[in-house]
Amino acid sequence: MRVAVVGSGYVGLVAGACFADLGHTVLLVDNDQQKLAALKGGQVPIHEKFLPELLDRHRGQRLRFSEDLHAAVLESDVVFIAVGTPTTEQGEADLSYVESVATSIPSALNGYKVIVEKSTVPVYTSEWIRKIILRHAADPDSFDVASNPEFLREGSGVTDFLFPDRIVIGVDDERCVSVLRTLYAPLTDGSYYQRGDAIPRPDRAQIPPPLIVTSTKSAELIKHASNAFLAMKISFINAVASICEAVGADVQQVCQGIGSDRRIGHRFLNPGIGYGGSCFPKDLKAFRAVARECGYDFRLLDEVMHINEEQRQRFLRKVRSALWTLRGKRLAVLGLAFKGGTDDIRESPAIMLVETLLQEGCSISAYDPAAEVRAREVLPASVQFAENPYAAVRDADALLILTEWDEFAALDLERVHGAMKYPIVIDGRNLYDPESMAEQGFTYYSIGRSAATPEVRSSPSNVPPRAVENS
Amino acid sequence: MKISVIGAGYVGLTTAACLAEIGHSVRCADNDEGKLNLLRSGRMPFFETHLETIVQRNHAARTLQFEEVENAVKGAEAILICVGTPPLDNGDADLSAVANVARIVAKHATGHCLVIEKSTVPVKTGQQLKRQLQLYAGNRLQCDLASNPEFLREGTAIHDFFHPDRIVIGVDTEWAAAQLREMYRPILEQSFHCPVHPQCQHTPKPALIVTDTESSELIKHASNSFLAMKISFINMVADLCEATGANITKVAQGMGMDPRIGPAFLNPGIGFGGFCFPKDVQAFVRIASQAGCDFSLLKEVENINKRRIDRFVEKIRQELWVIAGRKLAVLGLAFKPNTDDVRFAPAIELIRALVRESAIVRAYDPQATEKAKAVLPNLDYCSSPYEASADTDAILLTTEWDEFRALDWERIRGLVARPLIIDGRNMFTPEEITAHGFHYISIGRQPAFSSDDEVFSRSKLGAALP
Repeated sequence: MRVAVVGSGYVGLVAGACFADLGHTVLLVDNDQQKLAALKGGQVPIHEKFLPELLDRHRGQRLRFSEDLHAAVLESDVVFIAVGTPTTEQGEADLSYVESVATSIPSALNGYKVIVEKSTVPVYTSEWIRKIILRHAADPDSFDVASNPEFLREGSGVTDFLFPDRIVIGVDDERCVSVLRTLYAPLTDGSYYQRGDAIPRPDRAQIPPPLIVTSTKSAELIKHASNAFLAMKISFINAVASICEAVGADVQQVCQGIGSDRRIGHRFLNPGIGYGGSCFPKDLKAFRAVARECGYDFRLLDEVMHINEEQRQRFLRKVRSALWTLRGKRLAVLGLAFKGGTDDIRESPAIMLVETLLQEGCSISAYDPAAEVRAREVLPASVQFAENPYAAVRDADALLILTEWDEFAALDLERVHGAMKYPIVIDGRNLYDPESMAEQGFTYYSIGRSAATPEVRSSPSNVPPRAVENS
Repeated sequence: MKISVIGAGYVGLTTAACLAEIGHSVRCADNDEGKLNLLRSGRMPFFETHLETIVQRNHAARTLQFEEVENAVKGAEAILICVGTPPLDNGDADLSAVANVARIVAKHATGHCLVIEKSTVPVKTGQQLKRQLQLYAGNRLQCDLASNPEFLREGTAIHDFFHPDRIVIGVDTEWAAAQLREMYRPILEQSFHCPVHPQCQHTPKPALIVTDTESSELIKHASNSFLAMKISFINMVADLCEATGANITKVAQGMGMDPRIGPAFLNPGIGFGGFCFPKDVQAFVRIASQAGCDFSLLKEVENINKRRIDRFVEKIRQELWVIAGRKLAVLGLAFKPNTDDVRFAPAIELIRALVRESAIVRAYDPQATEKAKAVLPNLDYCSSPYEASADTDAILLTTEWDEFRALDWERIRGLVARPLIIDGRNMFTPEEITAHGFHYISIGRQPAFSSDDEVFSRSKLGAALP
C-alpha cells in the first residue's frame, strides 16, 4: 500500500520505517528541512534500537522523505497524522498541528483515502478532523477518518511497533476497516515473523498480535486511559515506598508480594524518582482536561501527578539529609534521560533534579550514555559532562543515580569507591542491594528502603535471607 | 504439624479446613460456643463452595476439631491468629481480639511455638504482638512470630488456598521460615489431592516470598488497595465513555491487553464492596497518615466508589423519571457472586437509597437472602428471579451470579410491567438483551433499545459499531 506519514518525530519516524519494513511504500512528510536533509543523508535523529538498520534498509527505496504534504497525500492510499500535540498552558493538548494537516488534505483527495490519527489525541479529535475536511468541501465518500493509537515506548519503539501487545483500530465506518487490516496484515497473519530479516523477536511477544476494531472514540480513550493507568501504577508504588521508609519495610519486597498477584503484575511496580518523558505527563494532563470537558472531575489523576511531583521533592530531601548542606558540594550524576534506553530528556525528573541542585549551589559532573547532547541544550554550561561513570564520580561528595540504564546497575563498585571523595550513593532507581552496598563500604540511600551504612547494618543479623522462591 | 487456628470466621475456618486437608492435625477455636456446636454438627456458619465437604470429611477423620481457645493453643506447634479486625469509628482497625488471643497464647501455649498473624492487620502489629507475648509469658514460653497474610477471595477461597499466586511470609528467624515452609510444603510443591478439581491440572508452583514482618503486613494492604484503585479507575473511565459515546467494554479490552495493566479487575460496575476492599483501603489510608505520608490517591479511590451508587440511582431516575412508587426488581444482594456475604455490598446500599426514595423493591439472591434479612428486615424477598420480576417497572442487575446469565428472558418479558433492564455489572452485550424486546441500560456503554422501538434510538455516529 502507499502510505504517507505526516510528522517525523518519534512516532512518525518509527511508524514510517516499520511500515516500510512491512512492505508498504512510505512517504515521510515533515516541514523541517534540516531534519529531512539529515534523514536523507543517512543520519538518525533519535536514539532507537533497530531504527538505523531499518532506515538503512529502506531509505530511498520504500521509504522516502518529502516536505510536500499535498503531493504526498495525492499519491497515498492511507495518510497517518503523527505530528506533535504539545500541552497548552491549560493542560490541554494543542491540536493546531493536527488541524493544519487536516486542512491541507481535502485539496489532495483524488480518490478514496483513509486518514488515520496516530498521535495521542483527546477523544473527539477524529470527529474534528472529519469536520475540518468536510468544511473544505470534500466529498464525504472520498475519505474516512480512523484512529490507530500508537503504544510504542521510547527506547524499544521499533520492537514495540512490530511486536505489539495489541493493534487498536478505531473506525466509524466499516468501509475503512479492510484498508487498515491490509496495512497490518503482515503482523496479524504472522507472515512478517516468518521472514529471515525480521527484527529479532523480544521475550513475551504475542504472535500474531490481536487486533481490536472499535469506534474512534473508544480507540482514542484506550490510549489515554492506558497511559493514565500506568502512570497511576508508578505513583501508587511510589506512595507505598514512602510508607515503607516510614515504617521500616522494604519496598522491593513489597513489590514482589504485590506483583506476584496476577491481577496486578510486576511490571511498572518500580519505585523511583517519578515518571517523566514526552507521554505520561502530557497524556495525564490531556486526559484530565478531557474529563473536565465532559463535566467530570478526575481527581484521581490529580493525585497521581501530585505524588509524582512529591517524589522529586522527597529525593531532594534525601540528598539534603545525606549531605546536610548543599552549597559547594560536588555531585556525580549518573543518568539524565527520563528512562533507560533513550536519549529523550523531555520532562525528565533527572534534568529537573540537576537544575534544582545547581540552584542550591552544587557543582554537577554528569554522565549519560545517550542523552548528553540533548541535555547540553537545556542545562546551564556549568554542568560538566564526563566520558564515563568513573570520570563522573571522581572526587565527588556523593553519587546520584537518576536513570535506570543497565550499565549503571553493573558498575565496578571498587573503582567507584576509590574515585569518590566520600562513598555516599543516593540511588533514585533502586539499582543496588542496600546490604551489599554497605559491605562494599558505601553509605547507601535508596527509595522505599532503609538507608544502609558500612558501620551499622540496617537490619539485625539474625534476619534470614530474603528471597523469592519457586518463581 | 499440630496447628491451632484461632477464629472460626471466614478466613479461620477455611484455612483450618484446608490445612487439615493437606495432612496437618488442626484444632479450630472460637469463643462463640454456639458456632463451635454448629460446626461439630457438620453445619456451616456461612456459604463457601467446597467448604462443607472438606470440613465434614476432616472432622469425621478427626484431623479437624473444634475447641475452646485455651485448649486449642496447648501443644500447638503453630498458632494462626484469624480473628476479626473490624474498623473502629475513627477508621483504625480494632485489634482487641488479636490482643486477647496474644494473652491467651502467652498463658496457655506450651513448648516452642510459632504464632502467625493471618488476620489483616496494620503494619507494626507483629512487633506489638511479639511484645505482648513476651510481657505476658515472660520466660515461660519460647515463641516466634510471623506474618502470613491471607489472599483468599470469597467465593473461590478453597481454590485460592490450594492454587495461590504466591505465599507471603514475614519472619524474624530462620526457624520461623522453616516452620512455615513445612506447613505449606504440599501447596508449594503442588503435591496434594485436590478437593476442588477431580482431575487437577498441573498448576504452576506458587512463589514463596520470604520477607520481614513489616513488609509482609504492607503487602496485604497494598495489594487490596491497588485492586480497589483499579476498579475505581475503570469506573471513572466508564463515566467518561458514557459522556463521550465510547464503549467501556472495548476500552477495557484495549487496556487489558497491555501486559503491564492486565485484564483482571477492569470491570466497571456499581463499585467494590465486601468486607476486605473498603476496610483495607480505609486502613491503608490510616496507616499512611500515621506514618506521615499523604495517600490522597486512595482517598480519591474511596470517593469514586462512594459515588457509584448515586450515579446508578441517577441512571434509574433518567429512565423512570420518578422513582417513588415504582416497582423495582433487584437481582443480586451479595457483594459478589458465589458468596452469601452482604457486608458493604453495593446492592444493599442501592436498596437503601431506593427505599429512601419510596421505591417498591422486590429482591432476589441465590444465596444471600438470609444474610440480607438481617440488615434489611422489611424488604420483599422473592424465591426466584421470575417472582421478583413480576409487574416491575425495571429490573436491576446488581450481582453477576452465573444463574442470571441463563435467565429465560422471554418469560420475564411476559411478566414485567415495562421491559427495562438496568445492568450494574455489564453482564450482557446490549444485543443479547434487546433481542428479547427489552431496553438495556448498562455501565459505560450507550443505552440500547429493542429493535421494535427504533424511534427512540439515541444512537449516534459510530454507535452501531461495537
